Amino acid sequence: MRRRGLGIILFLLFVISGCCPVSVDSKPSISVWHWMTDRDPAFQELAKKYEALTGVKVNFELYAPSDAYSQKIRAAAQGTNLPDVFGILGEKRDFASFIKAGHILDITSYMEANNSNWKNNFFPKALAVNEFGPGNSYGIKPGIFGVPIDIMTIQMVYNKKLFEQLGLNPNRPPKTLQEFLDIGVKIRAAGMQGLVSGWGEVWMIDCLANNYAFNIMGKDKVLATIRGEVAYTDPDWVKVFSIFKRMQDSGVLAKGLVTMINKSAEQIFANEKAVFAFNGSWCVNVYKGMNPSLEYGAMLPPAASSQYPMAIWGGAGSSFMVNARSKNKEEVVKFLIWLTDQDQQAYLAQATNNLPANKNSLTKIPEILAQFARGMDYATHPNVWGVSEFSLVIEAFDRGIQSIIIGEKSPEQVASDVQKIKEREMAKKRAK
Amino acid sequence: MKHAFYYKSKKVAINTLIHIFLLSVSVTCLYPLLWMIVSSLKTQDMIFKDISLIPHQFRLENYVLAWKEGGFGRNFFNSIIYTVSVVFGIVIISSMAAYAFSRLKFMGSKFLFIMFMAAMMIPIPGSFVALYVLLNKLHLRNTPIGYILCMINVGLSTSIFLLKTFFDKMPKELEDAARIDGCSKIGIWWHVALPLAKPVLAVVVVFNALAVWNEYILALIIFDNRQFMPLQVALQTFQGEFVTNYPLLMAGLTITALPIIIVYLLMQKYIVKGVTQGAVVG
Repeated sequence: MRRRGLGIILFLLFVISGCCPVSVDSKPSISVWHWMTDRDPAFQELAKKYEALTGVKVNFELYAPSDAYSQKIRAAAQGTNLPDVFGILGEKRDFASFIKAGHILDITSYMEANNSNWKNNFFPKALAVNEFGPGNSYGIKPGIFGVPIDIMTIQMVYNKKLFEQLGLNPNRPPKTLQEFLDIGVKIRAAGMQGLVSGWGEVWMIDCLANNYAFNIMGKDKVLATIRGEVAYTDPDWVKVFSIFKRMQDSGVLAKGLVTMINKSAEQIFANEKAVFAFNGSWCVNVYKGMNPSLEYGAMLPPAASSQYPMAIWGGAGSSFMVNARSKNKEEVVKFLIWLTDQDQQAYLAQATNNLPANKNSLTKIPEILAQFARGMDYATHPNVWGVSEFSLVIEAFDRGIQSIIIGEKSPEQVASDVQKIKEREMAKKRAK
Repeated sequence: MKHAFYYKSKKVAINTLIHIFLLSVSVTCLYPLLWMIVSSLKTQDMIFKDISLIPHQFRLENYVLAWKEGGFGRNFFNSIIYTVSVVFGIVIISSMAAYAFSRLKFMGSKFLFIMFMAAMMIPIPGSFVALYVLLNKLHLRNTPIGYILCMINVGLSTSIFLLKTFFDKMPKELEDAARIDGCSKIGIWWHVALPLAKPVLAVVVVFNALAVWNEYILALIIFDNRQFMPLQVALQTFQGEFVTNYPLLMAGLTITALPIIIVYLLMQKYIVKGVTQGAVVG
């Protein structure tokens, strides 16, 4: 009887404590919702620093995993319970829908105040993801609506020890496709594994193929292809497809690459069983966990042509948005300016192994991160192109490259197949 | 003699095949658990380098770290309160409702039952935003009571279905005897129906306890305050977007799995009975 009573008292205390209103603090406070588990301890540390500096309490609330976080943000938007600062995961059209619903503050005026001091701190391409230009297809008033916290680039990495074993200079990665293919011959002769990547998750093939498309024919022609003005059977596109055949023939691609998931690729590279990997800058953190003594360097994909610069995918990794209905807008913006300042960005990069969004922080971060960050000069991303390819065309494109690698189809055949699907999709669109 | 040998050999062969099959099923069930426990005793890089099932070094401190870094103390207490309250609520409400659907004749009972069954078809994540908005309007969002009510709601349909199936098969003579002894309808439910339904109730308890213990998405959506979060949310601390802290995650999972394994072992006898009596239908 006594035990039951104690249980009831405990339960009531629990429920009542849960229903009590939170005590009101006279100091201003900022609430931030995020999903970045690996960055949470660093955020908490920065929040402490900021409170000590200004007296403003910042509550970083972590809600992971990211898909649950996305649901929470959507639900909170429906109930107008969004915090002062939050991030949006998803495509640009999701971002636009939040702006249209009046949930996100236009921060252009803050960015451009004092001769664009704040804006100029960022890599321009990191800001582009949070920017809506004039005449954008989403119908959003032009402006900047988010603050990049960090950036990411997708590049190649190479194992320095294996480079030495192959008789190569570990400080001189291949710069041209031919040099890369020549290394492939050496890799095959030595019985090693060449390039590993998550090409089973086809978007990574798409990424590398687009890198080479930009390098061979330039941005304008790539975008013209997406608009339907240039055919995929154009000789330049056949050259792009042929690169994968040449890579396969040279032996520079690892066995089983077309079905490899990125986690396996990361494990193989971290265990020093592959010479190259094609991966995003997040890999620095991953490799550190898997093999802290791994010696490797980052490099741009070796160029196939000197006509146009090599391009890589990159941009803002994570961004924060200011709640347009926040009562503390000014305080929030001040905090975000502080958070994205050089020192805080360098601290975040060192503590979390992510690339800083502030371009002035590069001198204060580890070399491997700086190598990835320097790639931002070559960065592009489908989100900022303003046009998007049909998903069926992308699928045919990526699957086609897979079939080239396994020797099922020739580059010409794939180009022709992709073009057929493109024409069919365009006809459907015109008919609508 | 030859005949006996033939039948004996046949029996042995069949038994061997059955045992090989059962052993392979057991291995596939137990291996992930074993891997979880072994990985919880390794370092992060050893998990990727050393695939052996016996680690070179036993890092028991992973458990302490997981408990501290995940903030398991408060979350563990929360999960126990949520599981006990929700299961208690489901058992009381669903058994009453199932008994009523099975034995009482009232207008619209069939329609109401169909409505409950239809609720089983709605995928839970599909109702999250609606639940959020409802709780917000009732000022129950970010409160434990709001979460408990939602979870009771989530578990009701299946439990009512299981219990009604059992009550439908229960002999009416037992109730008549209780009625002659002066039992009211509530009395019959409490003194006759519930004790007889013990095996089914065990199934209801274990299924719902598992569901509440492992739930975290609804909790993440409803709660803003970390102090109300259940244990499963704490586990997510170790799982990043690109990087997962496997040793601490596995240690956390082992800690999390223990209570539910204990509940299962305690109620195993009833569950087997419940299942063999046809409590779990369809």
